[in-house]
Amino acid sequence: MRIVIAGAGAVGTHLAKMLSSENENVVLLDESEEKLGKMETSFDLQTIVGDPTKISSLNDAGVGNADLFVAVTPDESRNITSCILAHYLGAAKTIARIDNYEYLLPKHKEYFASLGVDSLIYPEQLAAEEIATSIKYSWMRQLLEFGNGALVMVGVKVRENAAIINTPFKDLPHDIPYHIVAMQRGDETIIPRGNDCIIPNDIVCFMTTHENIPYIRQICGKDQFSEVKSIIIMGGSRIAVRTTKLIAGDIDVKIIESDINRCHKLLELVDDEVMVINGDARDPELLRSEGIANTDVFIALSDNSETNILACLAAKRAGVCRAVSEIENIDYISMAEKMDIGSVINKKKLAASTIFQMMLKTDVSSVKCLTFIQAVVVEFPVHENALITRKPVKSLGLPDGANIGGLIRNGAGVHVTGNTMIEPGDHVIFFCLERVLKKLEKYFK
Amino acid sequence: MFHPKVIFRIIGILLFIEAVFLLGSIGVSLFYGEDTVKPLLYSFGIIALVGFLLVSFCKGGERNISRKDGYVVVTMCWVVFSLFGTLPYMLTDSITGFTDAFFETMSGFTTTGATILQNIESLPKSILFWRMMTHWVGGLGIVFFTVAVFPMFGLNDVNLFSAESVGPIRSKLHPRISVTARWILTIYIALTIVCAVSLRLAGMGWFDAVCHSMSTIATGGFSTKQASIAAFNSPAIEYVLTFFMFVSGVNLSLLYLAIFKVRPMTLFRDTEFKTYLMVVVAFSLVIGGGLFITSDMGIEESLRASLFQVVSLQTTTGFATVDYAVWMPLLWLLLCALMFIGACSGSTSGAMKCARISILFKVMWNEFKRIVHPNAVIPVRMTGRIIPSAVQSAILAYTVIYIFMLVSGLFVNMAFGVDFLDAFSLSVASVGNVGPALGNYGPMASFAMLPDVVKWFCAFQMLVGRLEFFAVLLLLTPVFWKRR
Repeated sequence: MRIVIAGAGAVGTHLAKMLSSENENVVLLDESEEKLGKMETSFDLQTIVGDPTKISSLNDAGVGNADLFVAVTPDESRNITSCILAHYLGAAKTIARIDNYEYLLPKHKEYFASLGVDSLIYPEQLAAEEIATSIKYSWMRQLLEFGNGALVMVGVKVRENAAIINTPFKDLPHDIPYHIVAMQRGDETIIPRGNDCIIPNDIVCFMTTHENIPYIRQICGKDQFSEVKSIIIMGGSRIAVRTTKLIAGDIDVKIIESDINRCHKLLELVDDEVMVINGDARDPELLRSEGIANTDVFIALSDNSETNILACLAAKRAGVCRAVSEIENIDYISMAEKMDIGSVINKKKLAASTIFQMMLKTDVSSVKCLTFIQAVVVEFPVHENALITRKPVKSLGLPDGANIGGLIRNGAGVHVTGNTMIEPGDHVIFFCLERVLKKLEKYFK
Repeated sequence: MFHPKVIFRIIGILLFIEAVFLLGSIGVSLFYGEDTVKPLLYSFGIIALVGFLLVSFCKGGERNISRKDGYVVVTMCWVVFSLFGTLPYMLTDSITGFTDAFFETMSGFTTTGATILQNIESLPKSILFWRMMTHWVGGLGIVFFTVAVFPMFGLNDVNLFSAESVGPIRSKLHPRISVTARWILTIYIALTIVCAVSLRLAGMGWFDAVCHSMSTIATGGFSTKQASIAAFNSPAIEYVLTFFMFVSGVNLSLLYLAIFKVRPMTLFRDTEFKTYLMVVVAFSLVIGGGLFITSDMGIEESLRASLFQVVSLQTTTGFATVDYAVWMPLLWLLLCALMFIGACSGSTSGAMKCARISILFKVMWNEFKRIVHPNAVIPVRMTGRIIPSAVQSAILAYTVIYIFMLVSGLFVNMAFGVDFLDAFSLSVASVGNVGPALGNYGPMASFAMLPDVVKWFCAFQMLVGRLEFFAVLLLLTPVFWKRR
């Protein structure tokens, strides 16, 4: 598959690395030679210096026979323009990164498609959605919904006080209303077997149904924190703005931003209830005067990952029970995890997993990535005569690193065991490592 | 730079138009067979002649109107209109004395509605109609009216237009001024017609209905009766008038969107309209309650009287159904507050306007917030839009000038022997273009007994208040007259 990526920014380079390690033919196009410099020598891909909105540069990059064109420069207008041009030059499918919520509305989808922009991604919106869910269920790390909520995947960091630790899985009762799909222990991702058990500080992914979420909370020994009443956001980024729009209800939101001009701009973007404060959120004096001790959630969304990590540490020390930070540098994520600073959001991963989903040939209802584990959760619809319907699950010979989390039959979540036969019309939720995803495709053809 | 030729040519054209307005009165005079036809025709002749002379002597010269010209033209045309507007009163002997006639005309054009007449019913119908005509033209603004009605004169100049327009935030309905003006005029005329028909249905005669409708929609306050609306003694008429006064207090651009574009929700999203509605409801309930307790009126009667008076004074109309000068003094204070607040910007009403009051309160509230959150950047929002700090300080400056004007009025009035209460309320009512004051100059009284100096100063206050200070007071500053 020939893929042209325009824009060697954070999202572009991450996507290029990921796709080249999947053995795709990746061409990375950017105006800045500096940004492209290291990419060609350290990864197996081609780089072209050129303006993505110029027809000549697009021809140089071979857009004409590309299967996929991804425009992820910081400027949405240029992304849309280059997608239109790439479509005109013959690219089979185009994806543009945008920065305007209005464009995502379904009623405009057809128009963008007619322009030659097949799909739109808005990484900041994806990140904001994830932050909003993590605020709603503050005791968990991540919550993913499948089949309109028929099944949910819950990621929880388990502490010493949990009821289920140190019990091998084979000794757990058989009628438990959940299924453990994976665990993250330090840097290692474990697909659990009968003899494994959970030890403190593991992040455990449970597959369950909505009504059993309180039960999961109980066995993990988590307190039900009272409802979130107040939030402090550090950094008035685009994610911060989208987050304030998604947080519903009677929540007191403060954004601390150090650039006064950005503060004035923010006021035009956020609602009246949001208070914008000009200052440095790393200043403990400022945090104290803004009532950090009575704040329920601290969200660090500045451009700098190190600042975010430090600010979350400081906020936790000041008494905030829940912190969320955006960490751009992927190498820092596991490190941040060990430092115990709460949920970590990475918009590159979110954007990349969305683009990844668009690349797959079989149609997939959704691909969701997990921030804390190098893995994705995919919902596959099952068609008539698909390979997966021919044998029971245990005889299918599923690849290593893939695990069926559950399936949705007629709108209800169903528990999967080795003897389950998958039927056409079902939706299967796979939990798999990123590199295995493409191997799963053949089971659904 | 000034271009005297341009200025005088425009004044000349505007005088022609004043003469045209006078034709309305002449029509009324002919219709009712009154003996005022001759003097009215003389007035018409004089005004038209002066207009003609100005236009023919000032031919040629610059075509463009500069910003400075705009301010001079607007202020001058209001003064000149009022000067020549006295002719019908003087020549028909309806009003003797130039001071009184000028006061009456200025009160008419600025839609104040204060009168020096002592026996209104005795006047010929054509003169009564002329009083209403001054209101109706002045309600929208003389220049605005001309731009809307006579686009062929080519006065649709931005500088002219913006010198007369009022309100802290300007909004256009259409990219071109002449089209915006025409749309506003459409809704203005439509409201006048509907109001006149409703008043007729509520029991007024046709002549009274038309006159009161012109006065109501312009939020003027002249009546064809000495006792104002109390003379009709009809709850139906009072309710109809309350409704139309309230509607006239709404921003005309908003009304246009709500009625002609069928987007009524734009009204309820508008912060200023919400403030306006809130003030009307709150004050009506409090004053109604006060009346019910302190007087022998029933519940319906006290609420009706209170609602009518609140709307009448807040929209700066100045009609009266009862003599509120006899109400308990505490209620006077509330009425004075209403006269100060005024209705919405972009309407025909005067005074501070709800938008400014609302912004002032938000600025004040933000100061409290700033003490608790010293680093917070706190915006002032109106209907979701952020008010820039330049506009905020302009509003503070406006408020200071407003108060200065009130105090200087109080000073002049008291210097010439008017009681404190009378002097204070006269000042509030004149600057706010309300009309009737309190005490001896209440709604049923006449301003005839006032000393001449006070009458002139009141007329000055009316003009300054109508043009929102800056346009007129600018002409009194040395900076303005510097050659560069």
